[in-house]
Amino acid sequence: MTKCNKRNSIKTLAAAISAAVALAVTALPATSIADETSCSPFTPLIKGQEDFVYVWTLGVEGLGDGSDKLVTVDVNPKSKNYGKVINSLSVGGRNEAHHIGLSDDRRYVWGGGLDSSHIFIFDVATDPAKPKLVKVIKDFVEKSGGIVGPHTFYAAPGRMIITGLSNNQDHGGVTAHVIYNNKGDYIKTVQVPTGEVGGAMGDGYNYDVAINPRKNAMLSTSFTGWNNYMMDLGKMVKDPEAMKHFGNTSVMWDFKTMKPIKVFSTPGAPLEARWNWGKGDDFAVTTTALTSNIWVFKQDDKKEWQAHNVGTIGNPADIPLPVDISMAADGKAMWINTFMDGTTRFWDFSNPMKPKEVYTKKIGSQVNMVSQSYDGKRVYYTSSLLGNWDKKGKDDEQFLKMYNWDGKDLKLGFEIDFYKEKLGRAHHMKFQARNMNTLRPLHAEADRLDSVRLASTETPAK
Amino acid sequence: MIFSRALFWLPIGVFYASWAFALGTPVNLEVPLGLPPLTVPAVNPLTKEKIDLGRRLFMDRRLSHNNTMSCAMCHVPEQGFTSHELGTAIGLEGRSLRRNSPTIYNVGYQRSLFHEGREPHLEDQVWGPLLTKVEMDMPSIGYVVEKVRQLKEYEGLFEAAFGGPVNAERIGQALASWERTMISGNSRFDRWFYGGQRDVLNAEEQLGFQVFTGKGHCSTCHLIGEKSALFTDHKFHNTGLGWERTMFPERNNYRVQLAPGIFVQVMGSLLKSFEPPQADVGRYEVTIDTKDRWAYKTPVLRNVAVTQPYMHDGSLSTLEDVVEFYDKGGIDNDNKSPLLQPLKLSSAEKAALVAFMKTLTGDNLAALTHDARMAPASPPSLEQDPSDAYMDAIAVYP
Repeated sequence: MTKCNKRNSIKTLAAAISAAVALAVTALPATSIADETSCSPFTPLIKGQEDFVYVWTLGVEGLGDGSDKLVTVDVNPKSKNYGKVINSLSVGGRNEAHHIGLSDDRRYVWGGGLDSSHIFIFDVATDPAKPKLVKVIKDFVEKSGGIVGPHTFYAAPGRMIITGLSNNQDHGGVTAHVIYNNKGDYIKTVQVPTGEVGGAMGDGYNYDVAINPRKNAMLSTSFTGWNNYMMDLGKMVKDPEAMKHFGNTSVMWDFKTMKPIKVFSTPGAPLEARWNWGKGDDFAVTTTALTSNIWVFKQDDKKEWQAHNVGTIGNPADIPLPVDISMAADGKAMWINTFMDGTTRFWDFSNPMKPKEVYTKKIGSQVNMVSQSYDGKRVYYTSSLLGNWDKKGKDDEQFLKMYNWDGKDLKLGFEIDFYKEKLGRAHHMKFQARNMNTLRPLHAEADRLDSVRLASTETPAK
Repeated sequence: MIFSRALFWLPIGVFYASWAFALGTPVNLEVPLGLPPLTVPAVNPLTKEKIDLGRRLFMDRRLSHNNTMSCAMCHVPEQGFTSHELGTAIGLEGRSLRRNSPTIYNVGYQRSLFHEGREPHLEDQVWGPLLTKVEMDMPSIGYVVEKVRQLKEYEGLFEAAFGGPVNAERIGQALASWERTMISGNSRFDRWFYGGQRDVLNAEEQLGFQVFTGKGHCSTCHLIGEKSALFTDHKFHNTGLGWERTMFPERNNYRVQLAPGIFVQVMGSLLKSFEPPQADVGRYEVTIDTKDRWAYKTPVLRNVAVTQPYMHDGSLSTLEDVVEFYDKGGIDNDNKSPLLQPLKLSSAEKAALVAFMKTLTGDNLAALTHDARMAPASPPSLEQDPSDAYMDAIAVYP
């Protein structure tokens, strides 16, 4: 499915991957790479104005066609359609649409359903304004050996790393990473550790991954299984048995070998994983949804990874539920959303060991995802957390909102009411450019690491 | 032919030679120590073919509308065929159920199914969860039959088991056949009480038995017979728990675990934007008789140590919690069973009671789990909707 460089067979590409990764690990420059919300370092970036935002949207029974859909919003201020929905591509069913991820060439978006475990692959390069569904993977559970709930889609050279959240044995949280190639073929399953690794016990739970190639490090975090993520949030909080089954660990992996190096105790469901790419600042961050802590992962003087609890978000007794985070391009600041109070919080990360909250703004009755542009001047928010975790009644606002950030204040640019538009619950966002040639090339490629370019399949930017 | 009611039921171990059930390989279940003879409907004798088929159906996630829920997702083999991770169950698309998933250990002995006993027949029971929107949400009986018929893994299996193709009755019979094999006895209690092995229970456990049958009055409802025990009277009782959950569903605050050892008190007002608790009137929903309001079936206590959480709504996490609840005499309300009175048990007696209940664990649980896992959970799904495929298959164009 993914269009491959005709000069190289798939086999050649696969062979190049390990070399590419090895080179990237040892030779990637310490250039600042923005996460551009949460992109893999192997995915080319949009360096200027993004043209489109894709919103992976949950269908709601009785609203419109009730189906999950990939919604395309025109976000270029110079466009006559600025701030408008220009396309809606229904995929059929309510799959518990959750996260989407860009392929290593940014030509495809992969989207998962946490309930159905279906994976939808969209061509977003042929006509970025009108994505096309080109493949549906329906045998993820069978192929992966019983993994349920494909969550994160994180590009590696020629590969897509998919985190599972659950399993088909008990719908609990013990699960695995599942690797596919760019064609959409299953490669292998890598279990999250349940035993002791590096001094702490793994719990087998999973959520997000983020890779730092120059450190050959991959951080994974942990959430909960199908039983909980599919349940009404209020019901779950009142159920003592359910609340016993959240992930409490993060894991640092050797990325090349996909072997766990060390398990960290990070109690209370650590969610989004992000690396800071600043020079000499190879630290990663996560926040815990239940205990409202900020954790920083950093190597000590002996090059051993250590986890540090560096801050508390809001009042944990109110369960503010920190959800999505977005790190600025220079790694000096981070947006943190808290779902329950619908608030976004700007944290100064100049000193990652002592970050501090410097700005807050209420975005809506509930807020989940946050994605910022490469220059940090535009910040996008969506409302939905999970189909059954979203609030009910009048508090169930569903929106995409774009704000302009001047370093001091957020000013609303546009907003779209996803219920009024009969779309559904707005969840994960990814940006796209109308002209693929404007994409920022891989940093590895900019530094003439040809094998990395080779491994990333066809290079859109010439 | 006219049969008396009694002749509809035959004890296990009887050789089935009648024309009515000549098909398949007869299975003669060995009933373990402590359990009474298991009766099987004459119209559905146990055969290996039906048991194998029933196991496959029980474990198959494709028996739900969107292929995500099998019976085993709520009745998890490794979790005592209930779910340790949920107080009340979660159905298709995460929809909320009102009650805890009951274990299927020894389900063949039940005289009624579900906590309020709405279903008398094990053969018919499966159609409740299969068709209920909050559980597996299959659109119709015919849809289920067509879906199973079109799944290639079932090709020839119904014919081998029943001599004919899949239909609704046979699906129920196959499932009931496998479920009847989930018998579990020969516990330490059985070996002590029925087997005459005097050293099997220690002093505390024996004290617990005395409390169970004496001061605690537990055996008034959780019956123990001379030759066998199911630890149930098969009746329905109002303990007050259901009444309180329905009449006073919300609390001012909830003690919530955020992580192991980390708890907070969460204000109930913070949760008002979410789903409210659902009313549940128990046995009354079947009989429409006010005497049955908030009455629930006495559970079989065998394997109770591995079937937590407890009560019809899974609201009590441990056996200690359960003993404390009954020691207080339940929760007073107009319909509360007069059998529940404050017990005034000492700490030692409570601990002994818990110790005794832990002796009721059967000796074959690992084998039953292994048996269940012999069937696959996620075979390939159908490419085409089964009702569409059916209509295509029968289409006749002029």
